[in-house]
Amino acid sequence: MSFGDGFLRFPDLFPGRRGGEPWGERSLVLDVAGGPYRVAGLAAAQEEAVRRKFDGLCRAAGTAAAVAIQVFRAPAADFLERDVRGWEYMLDMEHSRSSVLLAGMRLMARLDWAPGLTGGLWTCEAAGEEWASIFENYFRVLAAYRLLGAGGAVLHSAGVSDGTSAWLLLGPSGAGKSTSSRLCLERGASVLSDDLNAVLPAAGAPRLVRLPFAGDLGGPPGGPPSYPLKAVLRLVKGTEDRLRPISPAAALAGLVAAAPFVNHDPWRHEALLGTLERLARSVPAYELVFSLGGGLWDILRAIPA
Amino acid sequence: MSSITLSTVFRRRSDVRYRRIEGEAVVLRQSAAEVLVLNEVGASVLDLADGERSVGEWIEALRSEYDADPETLTHDVLTFAGELEEAGMLEVVAP
Repeated sequence: MSFGDGFLRFPDLFPGRRGGEPWGERSLVLDVAGGPYRVAGLAAAQEEAVRRKFDGLCRAAGTAAAVAIQVFRAPAADFLERDVRGWEYMLDMEHSRSSVLLAGMRLMARLDWAPGLTGGLWTCEAAGEEWASIFENYFRVLAAYRLLGAGGAVLHSAGVSDGTSAWLLLGPSGAGKSTSSRLCLERGASVLSDDLNAVLPAAGAPRLVRLPFAGDLGGPPGGPPSYPLKAVLRLVKGTEDRLRPISPAAALAGLVAAAPFVNHDPWRHEALLGTLERLARSVPAYELVFSLGGGLWDILRAIPA
Repeated sequence: MSSITLSTVFRRRSDVRYRRIEGEAVVLRQSAAEVLVLNEVGASVLDLADGERSVGEWIEALRSEYDADPETLTHDVLTFAGELEEAGMLEVVAP
């Protein structure tokens, strides 16, 4: 299947550049890792929905931004209707050196580097939760690319903290990110997110940064922005609690597998490997076998600096 | 999968990227976003698969690097080359 075939009625007419008819003249600035991000071209109802979803992260429209996102109208007839029952939704993406194209449920979008990153989003959704979800789906991708450009990464992971340091828990779907997060939460930890977290380089240890893309768990946006990362842990469900050091190569492999969107982009693989290799070399990594017995949080906190 | 002999020449497929890190190699096959970790010998084989040296030359190079029984080494390298080819990491260079 060619790019866009699953979502778009006319994939050949995919916008060739960031242009079109904006929904309106409203704009806002989102203060999220890698940003701030300015979102312009919004209708009033779209702005209101984004503000509701990202409450606490919205800044005045005049705030200086690092990335500009423009939103445009697209006719509903441009998009295919899909039966989504029992279906795992994945955006369709096409990569090149200077741009990334995205197609999805009622959305077409671009990321362009010229040389700075800019974004364009075309949708037929004018308001409400449906629009806000479309925007978030796009924003997750854009943030992943933006953070990679800044020497960091978005990682499919759970992030837990004791208020001073943070631990990054990795594993594929079903490995126990939400379960382990819940176990830590019950013992007094805070959970940044059990779905997506960001890691950014910093003097000393890299920092684990909260993203406004919590899964089932995770604090509201606007909490403590970041913590020094103490360790990376590869999760394995078991009947006991056990910690075993793993090699930097094994850690790197786990990190690459956990880097959504960009790990499918051949044009960014060198950058991704370089960024995550630095992370794997700078933070201790372990395999953490954990049970439902509740000893996990104590094991994490006992990991030496 | 091709029949592999000591004169077979392999090269890494163009969509394979890898990093050597403390002896091991992390391999990323771009088209599938698959991630593998190879041990030190595997990482050396990946280095040697340059499209010029034959499997027999790999074995010579590895013999000078590792203290291994020649027969065992030959068997292991031939087997491993086949596995890497099957995994889409290597492709045969036409003679």
